[in-house]
Formats: sequence, C-alpha cells, structure tokens
Amino acid sequence: MIRIAAVGDLHYGEGSQGILKPGLEHLPDRADLLLLAGDLTRWGKPEEVQVLADELRGVPIPMIAVLGNHDYHCGREAEVRRVLEAAGVRVLEGEGTTVDVDGVRVAIAGTKGFGGGFRGAHGSDFGEPEMKAFVGHTKMLSDRLEKALAGLNAADLRIALLHYSPIEGTLEGERLEIYPFLGSYLMAEAVDNVGADLVLHGHAHHGSEKGRTPAGIPVRNVAQPLIRHAYNVYTLNGHREVLPAAAGGIT
Amino acid sequence: MSERPDYLPEHIREKLFHDPRVAEQDLRVDVKEHRVLLGGNVSSLQLRHTITEVAQELLPGYEIVNETTVVPTTEPEDAEPVS
Repeated sequence: MIRIAAVGDLHYGEGSQGILKPGLEHLPDRADLLLLAGDLTRWGKPEEVQVLADELRGVPIPMIAVLGNHDYHCGREAEVRRVLEAAGVRVLEGEGTTVDVDGVRVAIAGTKGFGGGFRGAHGSDFGEPEMKAFVGHTKMLSDRLEKALAGLNAADLRIALLHYSPIEGTLEGERLEIYPFLGSYLMAEAVDNVGADLVLHGHAHHGSEKGRTPAGIPVRNVAQPLIRHAYNVYTLNGHREVLPAAAGGIT
Repeated sequence: MSERPDYLPEHIREKLFHDPRVAEQDLRVDVKEHRVLLGGNVSSLQLRHTITEVAQELLPGYEIVNETTVVPTTEPEDAEPVS
C-alpha cells in the first residue's frame, strides 16, 4: 500500500512562518510521498516560497510539486522553482518523475494545467489572439501531460498532479460563472487517454474533494482551504490498475 | 474614494486581491452605508489583521467588520483508501 499525502493552495507569504510546520510533524510516519498541487505562494515571489521551503527542508520523504497561477504572478516562476528544488522539492511542468517506495515504482506526471471549461461549454482557440492564446495554452499543457504520463507506463502506479481541475465534479460549490477559469476537460481527456491511478489538483477553494474523470479515474481536490488540514492522505494498492481509455461513447 | 456604491464592493475586492500584502481572491466584500463586511477564508490570524488594515487604508472613515475565518492546518485524522 502506498500512502500519498497531498495539499495545494498554501498561499505562503513572507509572514507565513509556522503555518504548515506543526502539521507536518508526523507526516513521515503517515505518508510515503508529499505532493504539492500549486499556488504555494501569494504573489509568486521567491521570498515567499523561501518561507515554505524552510518548513519543508529536511522532510524525509520525497516531495514533488507543480506550480499554480499565483506562483507565476511576478514572472519569477523559475526562481520559485529553484528555491523549492534547493529544499529538496522536485518541481514538475509537463514532465514526470518516478519514486521507488519499498520496491513499488510510483510515477508522477505534473503540470500546472489551465482553464477553458468543460465538455459542452469549453472555449475554442478561435477569434481574437487572446482567446487563441488562452485555449492554446491549455491544449499545449494537456498534450504535455498526456505525453508525460504515457512515458511513465512502466511504473506500478501513476499519479497526475495538477493545479487546475480536470473535471467539474470537484468544482461543485464554486460559482458556475468561473468554471472556465478553474479548469479544463482537456486535462481529464489526456489522463483518460493513457490511464492513471489518481489525479490530484487544487485551485478550487470552494469546490468538492472527490470526483472521477469520465473514464472513472479518481480525482481529488486538495486545495488547503477546502480540506482544512495540513494535507490529506490517500492510499493506493501497489498493483497497477489501468482503466481503459475513454474512446468514444463517453458517459 | 468616491465611487458608485453598486460597484464599490467589487472594486474593494479587486484591490485587496491585487495588494501583495493580501493577494487573497476568496474574500467576500459587502458595503452597507459606511460599514464594510469582509468574509471568506484566510490562512492565518496575521493575514486576517492585515486585511483589516488594508481595507481601512482603502476606505478611511468606514467601519471594517472582518468576519473572515482562519483555516486550520492540523494533521488529518485518517487516510482515504482510493484503490
């Protein structure tokens, strides 16, 4: 059994010292991996993520993260990434990594992802350049996610780590008007095309924790204001269960 | 600040989000006469205090009623078996 601890949307600022650290005390006894689902800062400043990095440094289990929209705000995401990596947190964007947990190969493919909406109501890369850029960004990141997951096919377990949501199910509680800014079905399609055991995301603070992709892959929204804990823990059997790709006739 | 009252709460919400001391998108803002009601989740008591201060800077002379909630970051009780 593999134990995955996950949390997103910590939104650390320069005065956030000590918010998370007490809740991490027993983490190494309760989980094999810690996954961070983006929006680790308020403003995307290296000084902000340094506060979080100082609390994570020395946590003796593998830590893997994606960045979120807040982490891009200052245009200093490369520095944010470097600060996290210096503290031992592997940061993924359109790529994957594999961790060996007691002989079980656990692979994580990660991307921030982006918005656009959901089936029947998704934006199109049509019209103004701004609209083409918006939807084009989501398409590009979803394609990279699919390729990254496909490249991890030899692993025993595969997890997709996102910031934006791939499904509407974990947005229930949010205002419908903002769904296109909270996620895109293109990421669910990417995951369903190649299979995974679990999808984790944040971003939707007022959403719901649990959902599934159209092909049935479990999705969990781990936005901290939603889960209201330092992290949640999900357990997975070490035996790979690949769901069939959702080709045609999606229900 | 003199603004049409219909739009004032949204302008304050936007200004709070764009203030690097706050940068919190989840705040609810209601303005009734000279009283500002703030709601939503915040990550710390310190941020809650900062939000009150920034709101007071934005609307001097208004009474600020901060009803935001600090989200706990305690350890989870149980693990969820997903598979």
